[in-house]
Amino acid sequence: MPTVDIDPDELRDLTGHDEKSDEELQEDLFGLGLEFEGRTEDGAFELEFAPDRLDRLSVEGVARSLRYQYGDARGVHVPSPNSPEWTIEVDDSVPDERPYVTGAVVRDVDLDEEGLESLIQLQEKLHATMGRKRAKGAIGIHDLTMLKGRDARSASENESSAERSSANSRAAEPRDSGDEPRASPAADGNPTIQYVGVEPDGDRFVPLDSDREMTPADVLEDHETGRTYADLVSEYERYPAIYDDLGLFSFPPVINGRRTEVSTDSRDLFVEMTGTDQWTIDKMLAIVCYALSARGATLEEVTVEYPDHELVRPDLSMKTKTVAHDRIETILGIGLDPDEVLDLAERSGLEAETEESEDGDLVYEVTIPPYRVDILHPLDVIDDLGRAYGFNELDPRYPDVGTVGGRHERSRLENAARTQLVGQGFEDLLNFHMISEEENYDRLDISPGDDIYGAGEPATIKEPYSEDFTMLRTWVMPSLLMVLERNTHRSYPQHLAEIGFAAAVDESENTGVAESRHVGAVLAHHEAGYEDAKARLQALARNFDVDLETPPTDHPTFIPGRTAAIVIDGEEVGVIGELHPKVLIEHDLEVPVSAFEFDLEALR
Amino acid sequence: MQLPSQQVAVLEAASADEGMSVDALAAATDLPPETVTGAVFELETEGLVAVSERVDETVALTDEGRDYVTEGLPEVRLYEAALEAGADADPVSMGRVIGASGLEGGAVDIALSNYARKGYGAIDSGEITADPDADPDADAEANALAALADVEDAPIDSVDVDSDTLESLERRGLLDRHESTVREATLTERAVTELMAGIETAETVGQVTPELLTSGEWEDVEFADYNVEADAEQFEGGNVHILRQTAERVKDTLVGMGFQEMDGPHVDADFWINDCLFMPQDHPARTHWDRFALEQPTHIDELPADLVARVERAHKEGVGEDGEGYHSPWDEDFARALALRGHTTSLSTRYLSGEAVGDLEPPQRYFSVEKVYRNDTLDPTHLLEFFQIEGWVMAEDLSVRDLMGTFEEFYAQFGIEDIQFKPHYNPYTEPSFELFGTHPTTGELVEIGNSGIFREEMLEPLGVDCDVMAWGLALERLLMLMYGFEDIRDIHGTLCDLELLRNTEVTY
Repeated sequence: MPTVDIDPDELRDLTGHDEKSDEELQEDLFGLGLEFEGRTEDGAFELEFAPDRLDRLSVEGVARSLRYQYGDARGVHVPSPNSPEWTIEVDDSVPDERPYVTGAVVRDVDLDEEGLESLIQLQEKLHATMGRKRAKGAIGIHDLTMLKGRDARSASENESSAERSSANSRAAEPRDSGDEPRASPAADGNPTIQYVGVEPDGDRFVPLDSDREMTPADVLEDHETGRTYADLVSEYERYPAIYDDLGLFSFPPVINGRRTEVSTDSRDLFVEMTGTDQWTIDKMLAIVCYALSARGATLEEVTVEYPDHELVRPDLSMKTKTVAHDRIETILGIGLDPDEVLDLAERSGLEAETEESEDGDLVYEVTIPPYRVDILHPLDVIDDLGRAYGFNELDPRYPDVGTVGGRHERSRLENAARTQLVGQGFEDLLNFHMISEEENYDRLDISPGDDIYGAGEPATIKEPYSEDFTMLRTWVMPSLLMVLERNTHRSYPQHLAEIGFAAAVDESENTGVAESRHVGAVLAHHEAGYEDAKARLQALARNFDVDLETPPTDHPTFIPGRTAAIVIDGEEVGVIGELHPKVLIEHDLEVPVSAFEFDLEALR
Repeated sequence: MQLPSQQVAVLEAASADEGMSVDALAAATDLPPETVTGAVFELETEGLVAVSERVDETVALTDEGRDYVTEGLPEVRLYEAALEAGADADPVSMGRVIGASGLEGGAVDIALSNYARKGYGAIDSGEITADPDADPDADAEANALAALADVEDAPIDSVDVDSDTLESLERRGLLDRHESTVREATLTERAVTELMAGIETAETVGQVTPELLTSGEWEDVEFADYNVEADAEQFEGGNVHILRQTAERVKDTLVGMGFQEMDGPHVDADFWINDCLFMPQDHPARTHWDRFALEQPTHIDELPADLVARVERAHKEGVGEDGEGYHSPWDEDFARALALRGHTTSLSTRYLSGEAVGDLEPPQRYFSVEKVYRNDTLDPTHLLEFFQIEGWVMAEDLSVRDLMGTFEEFYAQFGIEDIQFKPHYNPYTEPSFELFGTHPTTGELVEIGNSGIFREEMLEPLGVDCDVMAWGLALERLLMLMYGFEDIRDIHGTLCDLELLRNTEVTY
């Protein structure tokens, strides 16, 4: 489970509850589903979170949720951003694989060390979750004062950018701002940055944590962060890049340029996000905007100009869900007054209004704030209402539903056969289904695909845990021998049996794998012989009323002349014999072992 | 007086003047020593023999001691080599003498540390001298070794070696002493009187035989007493594996609660394992569950086309008027990829969709206790393969209260009370709860399962239009709670210890 680090002092500040002790906070957080895991070196809480409430990935978001829980906040709050000044222009050259961009300007931020840390953590956690490790969405935050936005008109005259874009450069409406230009030094009109695609070696910039100029291709090779995220873009023909008038300053989703690095001195920020899905990056942006706004910053919109349409961001619009009163009652299993429902909604940070549906039923029109990315369906609203009510306040009841129970036939058969084997004195075993090729084949002197019992083609695992678990076992005999091998210090006789899973590649199956249960047994003691095994096999055949024959056969695991096929009701289903000394020596055994194995299905 | 035949035999063999050991009596009566011991104790209780105990001390050479019998003591060999080298006249370099003596390794140190002690000469500054008057033939230790060479566990009184020499041999690790307790029986006066009066042998038999029964003789015989308190030889019968026993108990409980058992493939398409559960294809859980993807074969042959279309639509557009899907791509080929199931919810999707046993009408209850596979780090509480207890109830209008009530009922069967519900998040259930129970012995709060009400985005494509509540729990966790096992690897898998499996307490 992912964790988020939260400084309790900050939490007290942001909630306005100085009186809360650390312990009380931990208890309140548990109520939100944030479990206290321990403390960081700095004394911050390490909280485990379920990856649905991504708006709680920062101290600001957690504080907001606590304020709703304490009743200090109710309903929906939306910050109102100022009108756009800046524009992000999306060029035709942008890589097809990563076409989307969004952004916002955030002014008058007051970032102390804690605030900056929280912002960085939020960025990292969003990358890890919604951003799918930056593949789906990546965040770049820049010091706005270091950006020189260019006027779109002058941009189109600029030679180097003419290659990258020009046809779509909008003739900028000269902005009559009257005020002196704010943080942006070159904002004479409509400051613009450009999202473009560049050749891997098409330009140079100084990335973060470096002091030399590099091309994007160099970054992927020589920069630590570059190497980490190289896989995301290395297949692209052109790499994503963001330019201002001074040149390339961001190489999403890999790394920002050093020029625009944010510090505690930064007052105004430019937040840009690129990705493979507009909705995803807009939601990530909404969460970041809410967090900065909670610290007293002012939001300012940004115009995003695609070649064929224009967006104004951040998108802080709200969505609504229609939730039926009846459904709330059946899911929670309690009766509620409409007023109670409205109250629960407000305490959840939602807003609800009662309405009548077309069928005349009572429904609620519920407004969802823009940072809630987890509400896909009215059921998700009901979950919020339940949490606000307190699920643990509900009385459990046994459902009044009548059904008849029963066992699957396969499990009944398995059980019956196991009972017989244990009655014969076998110790019932339970081994792993995953095994290595060496254990499954080599050490029993057989090869995959041999036309003998147990030597089916292996179903193999792509990324095994270790070389001991590379395939599914094709028979249970190897597992039984491994147990004998590891218990030579225990007293004999050792009569072991397993009714267990075995699998082999079989193209006639829908999954391509034939799965079956095998009955495997070994008898290990100083006088173990073929007869011992045969006697027990015969008893089993009698118990299940099947016809058993054991014609001689050859099988490299067993001693020639002391090996037979198990033929049940006319069908060859297994093998019985005395294990070959080669196999015994291979497993460090110093006693003879007789054994049999066959398909459980044959007893049906 | 009448006594059992063994007791009579012992009385007749024993003497009033001199104690006889059990072994001696056994030899005289031709009875097994354990029978004689039994008889002696019986007779002691009757006051017919007096039993005395004496501790016998025996000595025997160790392997090292035996080696010196043939090779000679190291210091003697050193002395002989020194004489050979002329060290009785002038000091000789030690290296030369040792080389000539053929001593190696630890024997060199042994030789040097005993050489001077026993007056064979002196060692000074790397040179060795030999005392011409020393006489190896008079070496007490060497002679003692020779005297002891042929005896095994000789009583210490019987060997002709003085106690100082024995002690020094023992100190040098050339001799072992053993102590054993010998019981000796002597006839009492009463026994002598009784014997003179004549003791009859009572008819006792050891074994009930067919002849005894058919002839009717059993009516006239007395059965020899056994030592019924003694431990018998250890018996190794078969046992059902302890984890299987626990699984059976869980299955019985669930069947009793009206659940039907499910069965299905271990190797399955991601479609059944994840997509049908409304797990977005790019969700971190689909990698952070660390699935075991198959290398060979790679993809399932066929999936029900209409179901695939419905699942895809739910992922992209959501379900219901106000529903919305994931803002993620959905690819059928990705869904067809094969893996070892990471949870048995793949069985639930196969049953709920009608794929397994045809369409199901509510109400229904289903369960399975089957293996799942996760690429987790192996440690005492985590295995790559473990059993999941999967269960679900399908009915109209189920509430979270029904879910909670079902759990309380189920866990109460295993002595786990005070279930707590922590609201939780799963992509496929809403509301969702983690379950916590109190450990019966430690009182600790432990996570015991995960549960919830299946989302409509999951159920609608499967063709289910009522509620389904569901839950999953690791069987091993339940077992560890019930038994207090600390390392699950002792039980499950090829590292298992037979002794533990043979001796584990049964469950019922």
